[in-house]
Amino acid sequence: MTDKFHSELKELKKGVSDMAWFAFSMLTDSQKAFINQDEALAATVIARKDQIREQMVTLEETCYQLIALNQPVAKDMRVIACSLKVIAASERIGRYGKSTAKIVKEIAGKPHIANMMSLPLMSEYVLAMIDDALTAYDTENLRKIDGFSARDDAIDALRHSIFRESITYMMENPKTITQATYYIIIARYLERCADHACKIAENVQYMETGERIEIK
Amino acid sequence: MSESIISTKNLNLWYHEKHALQDITMEIEPKKTTALIGPSGCGKSTLLRCFNRMNDLINQVKIEGELCLDGCNILSDDTDVVALRKRVGMVFQRPNPFPKSIYENIAYGPRVHGINDRKELDAIVEKSLKHAALWEEVCDRLHESALGLSGGQQQRLCIARTLAVEPEVILMDEPCSALDPIATAKIENLIEMLKEDYTVIIVTHNMQQAARVSDYTGFMYLGKLIEYDSTTTIFEHPKQDLTENYITGRFG
Repeated sequence: MTDKFHSELKELKKGVSDMAWFAFSMLTDSQKAFINQDEALAATVIARKDQIREQMVTLEETCYQLIALNQPVAKDMRVIACSLKVIAASERIGRYGKSTAKIVKEIAGKPHIANMMSLPLMSEYVLAMIDDALTAYDTENLRKIDGFSARDDAIDALRHSIFRESITYMMENPKTITQATYYIIIARYLERCADHACKIAENVQYMETGERIEIK
Repeated sequence: MSESIISTKNLNLWYHEKHALQDITMEIEPKKTTALIGPSGCGKSTLLRCFNRMNDLINQVKIEGELCLDGCNILSDDTDVVALRKRVGMVFQRPNPFPKSIYENIAYGPRVHGINDRKELDAIVEKSLKHAALWEEVCDRLHESALGLSGGQQQRLCIARTLAVEPEVILMDEPCSALDPIATAKIENLIEMLKEDYTVIIVTHNMQQAARVSDYTGFMYLGKLIEYDSTTTIFEHPKQDLTENYITGRFG
């Protein structure tokens, strides 16, 4: 394989990393906007939606071209395979950021209930998982994804507790139904984002070692 | 792997002073295609030529170790080399038909092995050409010169010529390197069909070709067999860094 291919592969990885961190910023900002009820910040997240899609299409196209023109094998092939998965997961994460930002607009002006339950904590945990998964992709350091299974379990437990707590509040006071339902939805989005972080981690493991793992 | 058809154990070969093959230990599975890859001068063609003792034709060659075909050491002095080469046929880099008719090219080997009955020879010629996917193209001009065929047709004729003596193993040394992509594709399709009945061992510089046609791949470097595994393992996640660096084009 030529030096040109390897430099294009490097560029691809940089592009995918940029897209992934862009998606990460969408989710991070949507969480900030939710916690601080910052409608203006939520609007900027929504505005980033088209950009993430464009990045996805361009980067996927680059992957397909690299495959078609160079028939990569071994690690080169695994980098492209992993990058395609990171692109897909990042696009989902970005879109969950956008969906959360839309909820911020829906519930604007209504005060938080029950101090948002465990949502800020859950948000912190999920963002940390995505941060580590993307850092592992960038640096090829698998230590970052050690213990992802236990971290994912903690996220699932938090989602479940937010669900139970929200139901309790709704039963006690029907006026909280709208707010509490959105809390359940956001907890669900966060849980899905943690799953995407796990998928990224699984694929980084494959990229680095060729070994398939399942983070349950 | 199921029981091997060819196995080597600590096979070493020297061309005069040069230690060209070093401690090669491998087992070749029957009715599968095995590819040998590696940079020029790594010993892959030398190893291939060991399998039917073609290196005997080169001066100052010394071979040590074990090389068995169906459990019998073919390096021993009492091996009948002619009989061995009937069982282990070879196709070379450049098509090398005899300057005779298409028919005579195929009939030559069976005649050497004592078949002279015309009907029997006709049947062998037809069967071999059909096996080599050439029959349709040449059936109406069997008695024309083989040298009038295209390069790809000549190479398939050479494969048919090898098949005519009903070998068990077919060795191919860069069989497509002198052919255009269409002729190459035909040979590759043929290799796929041949492995139903034969064991194919192919040396190729073209890694994509090794990936496409083979079930097992051996990577050689400086006379050593660095890694030998299923083709999917070699091309998806090789275990040795040297293999990785070679197949991803970082050297070679």
